[in-house]
Amino acid sequence: MADATPSAEPRSAPWLRSFAADEARAWLFVAKSLLAVYVGAWLAMLLHLEQPSTTMITVAIVMHPQSGMVLAKSFYRAIGTVAGSLAGLLLISTFPQQREVFLLGLSLWITLCASGAVLYRNFMAYGFVLAGYTAAIVALPVIGNPLAGFESAQMRVSEVLLGILVAGVVSDVVFPERLRAVLRRSAHAQFDRFFAFLRDSLAGSLPQTRMEEVNLEFVRAAVQLEDLRASVIFEDPEVRARSSHLRLLNQRYMAAATTFQSLHHLLNRLQRQGQTEVVSALTALYQPLHEALTLPAARAPNPSGLLAQRLERFQHTLVQSIAAQRQALAQPSGSLEFATGAALLQRLAAELHDYARTDGALRAGVIRAEQERMRFHRSNDWSDIGLTALRTFLTMTVLSVFWIQSGWAFGATTMLLATVFSGLLASAPNPVSAVLKTLYGFAAGMLVAAFVEFRMLPMGDSFPFLVAATLPFLLLGPYLSTRPRFAGFGTGYTISVLLNLGLRQPMLYNPEVYFNSALSQLGGLAAAAAAFMLLPGQVSLSRQLRRLRQLVATAASARLEGLVWQFETRLRDLVQQAVVHTPAGSAQSRILMAWSLAVQESGRTLIELRHDLAAGTLPDEARARTEAAIGAIDRLYRMPDSSHWQQADAAVNAAIAAMPEGPARNHLYQIHSALHDTESPLFGPLPIPVPNSTHAT
Amino acid sequence: MPREIDLFGVLVPGLLVIFFGGLAATALIDGLLGRLGGYRHVWHPALFRLAVLVVVFTTAALLLF
Repeated sequence: MADATPSAEPRSAPWLRSFAADEARAWLFVAKSLLAVYVGAWLAMLLHLEQPSTTMITVAIVMHPQSGMVLAKSFYRAIGTVAGSLAGLLLISTFPQQREVFLLGLSLWITLCASGAVLYRNFMAYGFVLAGYTAAIVALPVIGNPLAGFESAQMRVSEVLLGILVAGVVSDVVFPERLRAVLRRSAHAQFDRFFAFLRDSLAGSLPQTRMEEVNLEFVRAAVQLEDLRASVIFEDPEVRARSSHLRLLNQRYMAAATTFQSLHHLLNRLQRQGQTEVVSALTALYQPLHEALTLPAARAPNPSGLLAQRLERFQHTLVQSIAAQRQALAQPSGSLEFATGAALLQRLAAELHDYARTDGALRAGVIRAEQERMRFHRSNDWSDIGLTALRTFLTMTVLSVFWIQSGWAFGATTMLLATVFSGLLASAPNPVSAVLKTLYGFAAGMLVAAFVEFRMLPMGDSFPFLVAATLPFLLLGPYLSTRPRFAGFGTGYTISVLLNLGLRQPMLYNPEVYFNSALSQLGGLAAAAAAFMLLPGQVSLSRQLRRLRQLVATAASARLEGLVWQFETRLRDLVQQAVVHTPAGSAQSRILMAWSLAVQESGRTLIELRHDLAAGTLPDEARARTEAAIGAIDRLYRMPDSSHWQQADAAVNAAIAAMPEGPARNHLYQIHSALHDTESPLFGPLPIPVPNSTHAT
Repeated sequence: MPREIDLFGVLVPGLLVIFFGGLAATALIDGLLGRLGGYRHVWHPALFRLAVLVVVFTTAALLLF
């Protein structure tokens, strides 16, 4: 390609290069996967394990282009396998003769694990699912011969752990693709995008739809950074040492995003109310911030360090310019509005400074050992867990009854596959289509494996021959799994080929058994798909909104210590979950984003207000009124209707009237202003909101 | 060191116990090196880690058996 004509090259080179790089990555992954699969098989045969195919399947499942993912998945898979085997063993030894009771116990254990998986994200969920179905893998095949239970458990654990070991070593040592680079890139991108957006939006006004889009982007970035962090710590000990530092970075980012959003909305509202004088005074205040954030064009080695310095200087000048502008503001009616805006701007500057400083320290490679422990709080819905539990339990029970009643020897395989995939795919955005894709992959793999097993394998009996016979057919699976559209198909195909080949010692060639077991696998997948169709996990929009609004109640009443972080992380997690299930750009997603912005602003302000109260220097009456106002806002978010809105408005106004000047009064005014926001969903559905319009004009 | 260890009535190879001990020791060394920034002077951290595990495990196995 280097010899291409000069005129054609500039046009073709970029896409060609990215195409070639992409293909190279994919084929490197294919090569690594197959290397690990065959090394695993060879070692398993060398060690005289019963079913080398289990090792091969483990490798195929665990392999991922990025080594951090493999290590994280392996870690939880190892824990899940050991726990599941112990549970399986316990079940067999407790109910060796009573098949019905045994199956009930097994269903309960798997249900328990499946519900546990809903509580966690990342690969921890995967560990739970595995603990569930490993019990089934260990126990089901030996149900007719309980004495072999221990042997079976020991073999499964050895085979799986061998597979994990091989996959981990191969992916981490042979041309590793580091997830750490991705983490660093996305942390930097998050930082740069956030500051670029701040710069642009400080320069001019911003429509509400754009704000919603950007907010969604920020939410995604925050959750993605946390997910990446959770995997990279397995790959890189240095990142592990800085893990809490990374969390701190993410939290400062979220805090700054919330404050910026509040300031932006406050300014918008003042603009709409026609308070031009206050708006221009505030604009004059934050104009220097725009200059401070505009870095020289040449890229500094550590731009965030420079930003932090500039922000620190800005904070100092801000105090003086606030005093100057307050003097200039002649009319006293706008003083509360001005003080609120100025306080928010100060908070924003302080939070931006913290964020930039943390990022600068990370870029400079400072490892700080002692750091306050923080958690990324997840938000779980009990109905989700209940639904998953019900679905798993019903699937298991129906298939058990079918197995017992029909007397079909391969019923156990059906049960096994249904369990495995209904657990693994429960958290997918669209479980039904994910299961169906896997099902198609399985069907294709079944035919290919039949050809290989009955046409190719009988021709030779050495390990190199095995590799030569299966390699051409196994190339396709890992390659497809690097393509997002075909990932499900690719994974299903690989697992199916390996499972159906069923390498064991000694090898068994029996077409009848082969097709019986292959069909029972397809039946299991179909059962999983049916279960997802009958009991879909989708939560309705109104329920998601209710959960979102419940966060305000948390902000209003939960223990104050660490509440800001808890609130900010929960909100992101919830929005991210909800967004996965709503089509982008739809009316639903608009409603969701609008509510999330309202909750974000009100919740955070309530927390700040409660901090003011806890400081304990306020007069008693003001305190009582403020507490009443917090309660009224809480009720409004629980049940947004016009009577609650009016009560909340009255309570907030009373509290403002009783409150002496200071931060608490500013926060109260901010709540008042959020209540009167005509673009807020709180305001929208109300039939008779007549905000004191005399004040506005 | 006995060739097999009786663990709740299950005979576990002694080497396996040593291997898990080696894993724990490696994890400890790994965490310490990461915290002190030692990995910045290593060309291939993953290979280094694996090598540390092999060294720790074989040393212990050779010394104890």
